Amino acid sequence: MATLPEEIKAAMQGVIPSHVVTCAADGTPNATAISQVYYVDPEHVALSHQFFNKTVRNVRENPRALLWVISPLTLDSWDLEVEFDHAETSGPVFEAMDMQIEAIASIVGLKGIFKLKSADIYRVASVTRNVGERIPLSDIVEPRERA
Amino acid sequence: MIADFDATRGLTMIPDRVVEVLNGPAIMFVGSRDAGLRPAHTTAVGAVAYEDRQTVTFFVPESRSARLLSNLRDNGRIAFDFGLFSHEAYQLKGVYLSSRPTTDEDLARQEAYRKKLVTAVRQAYPEELARPLVLGLGYHPGIAVTFRVEEVYLQTPGPGAGTKMA
Repeated sequence: MATLPEEIKAAMQGVIPSHVVTCAADGTPNATAISQVYYVDPEHVALSHQFFNKTVRNVRENPRALLWVISPLTLDSWDLEVEFDHAETSGPVFEAMDMQIEAIASIVGLKGIFKLKSADIYRVASVTRNVGERIPLSDIVEPRERA
Repeated sequence: MIADFDATRGLTMIPDRVVEVLNGPAIMFVGSRDAGLRPAHTTAVGAVAYEDRQTVTFFVPESRSARLLSNLRDNGRIAFDFGLFSHEAYQLKGVYLSSRPTTDEDLARQEAYRKKLVTAVRQAYPEELARPLVLGLGYHPGIAVTFRVEEVYLQTPGPGAGTKMA
């Protein structure tokens, strides 16, 4: 079990989409973008289960998942190794996620389509801040077309 | 050695629209897994679908390639996800063929890709976030990874997400 650092909360506000990678029992990986990883407590996060998609099916066969999140404040990104623990269909985490999803759906004109089935709770197994993948701000240059 | 490579699987043709999105200003990343079925994530910076419509090469920063290449040499399985800011998204699943350091030709593709992407991201995010978010991601030196596509899935959020297209 690992503990989430305080600064990772900024990466879990849904400003920049996150990524999730899972793996079926037959060894086939699955990769998809998700709008938000929800902070539950220092050792748990939640993902929304709205449709019975491949991510949902995979973690019920093989509980391991990899979450990538990025902070819009610092552009620090983290890899979280997590394990599916259980699904909640009521309670404060479910209610908070349901309200947030309804609000977003309403804003984009899709109210009623993105119905939350459960808040899937994951244990955080490891947290790795990705280092050395970003160019310092002072060194960034606009892309140029090459001949 | 690629443990579960199956040369007898049927050929898959990537649909036109999927190629268009792959060549457009798409956010893209790669899923792989190790021998213990532990998933891994790698951000990609540009990709190209070849004329055979069955083979794709994507580019990853060398600094983030070690785990990906280790996984691919172990089992060869790749999930490649990419999507536009409109949320239109697709996933290609397939098997690893080869990898090599990026060339000048690859770099030219990556420069064109970065230019398209930062233009698109500037329409969704303020400049102080868009510029470092896109242009601040290291891409050189890079590794070009080529894989054969076996399955194509719709990933656009909604009830149809996960539909197999090819």
